[in-house]
Amino acid sequence: MSDDPLIRLGKSSSEAIAGVLEMFAPGKVVAGDVTVVPPEKNPMESIPVPAVATSVSYVDGVTGANVFVMTLDGARKLAAAMMGMEEPEDPDAPELSELELSAVSEAMNQMMASAAIAVSSVLGTEVEIGTPETKMFTEAAEALGAYPQTPHAVRASFSVCGEPCRLVQLVPNAFVVRMTRALDELGAEVPSSEPAAAGVASTAAGAGAGPGTPSLAGIPVRVWAELGRAQMPSAQVVGLPSGAVVELNRSADEPIDLYVNGRRFATGRLMVVDGTDWAVRIETVLAPSNTSTQDQLEVARWPESW
Amino acid sequence: MARILVVDDAAFMRKMVSDALTKGGHEVVGEAGNGLEAIARFQELKPEVMTLDITMPEKDGLTALKEIIELDPSARVIMCSALGQESKVLESIKLGAKDFVVKPFQADRVLEAIGKALA
Repeated sequence: MSDDPLIRLGKSSSEAIAGVLEMFAPGKVVAGDVTVVPPEKNPMESIPVPAVATSVSYVDGVTGANVFVMTLDGARKLAAAMMGMEEPEDPDAPELSELELSAVSEAMNQMMASAAIAVSSVLGTEVEIGTPETKMFTEAAEALGAYPQTPHAVRASFSVCGEPCRLVQLVPNAFVVRMTRALDELGAEVPSSEPAAAGVASTAAGAGAGPGTPSLAGIPVRVWAELGRAQMPSAQVVGLPSGAVVELNRSADEPIDLYVNGRRFATGRLMVVDGTDWAVRIETVLAPSNTSTQDQLEVARWPESW
Repeated sequence: MARILVVDDAAFMRKMVSDALTKGGHEVVGEAGNGLEAIARFQELKPEVMTLDITMPEKDGLTALKEIIELDPSARVIMCSALGQESKVLESIKLGAKDFVVKPFQADRVLEAIGKALA
């Protein structure tokens, strides 16, 4: 089995977690490597102790768990940063104070929720998480049997306030199968039957598949036209009655956008052909952009920015 | 300025939210650490606004929200949760929450939500 889905899972979770940590401890978070743990190794092996570990299981959607391990000092420094203090109040105490523990648990909780959302977005289905459970380890060996063994595990390292931390993702087979499938769909984006887009697709295939790429010429692509967008609070969406008018952000005399597999590739005018069917007359074919893949996936995943 | 009840199972979050609200000129009239307590304190204190976490022991925030709205359909409840999935947001709004603040949040975002709920 390829490690790609596992790495992808680890990376998206790692980014999500680093994002949350960065809000709590600005400038004190470094996300490190994401690696697949070899099957013969215990992912909880040789953790620096004393350590605080929080685990969260997925309760729905996928089976699996995330464990975030940080050193006691790291936990204390994170708690201090969360409370706006430069240094912990009592850096040498053998245990976390009640408020420190609460802060760290909350940070873990938010990290895990954010990781779950990242996983949902990779999988294309929503995953729900259980209540976080926090444990303390004073000996490295205690951690070895603390969590159920799974066929796969991913490990992501972080440095928080200069202290080493580790995210361990315990991944059962069922999860990987699902993940691989979701990633395949994401990568190929080949709709088996897309009647709505089919009318325009033939035109687009001609335009998109240039000479010299015969092997790519037959790939069906998903084409759609976008008239405009609207943004509104969820409460307003829920309350929309039939008959309501939603204004879009584009005036009627502006050209509309044509997308191919999530990438805006042309602008054109909406017209009617054969007296009944909508069509788009292309005005401008946009130059292939040098921008990142993320920008090209503008529609497939709504950007935060608008 | 409003009288506010803060509900979260994490003492740290209660402190953070309370501090932010107090700095914003509001009065935190009480705190609760789970859904059951939230309902009891809501009835006892009759706050103008309450912030409500979702993942909590005893009774979760969505169940508490439902019961609170049944008790008082005009209750102003702002959900504060790390579970920012679309389904949770929509469910909250459908059940009658005025707003949904996803954790981690900045103090301004909470104050803004309170301001809007009172408007």
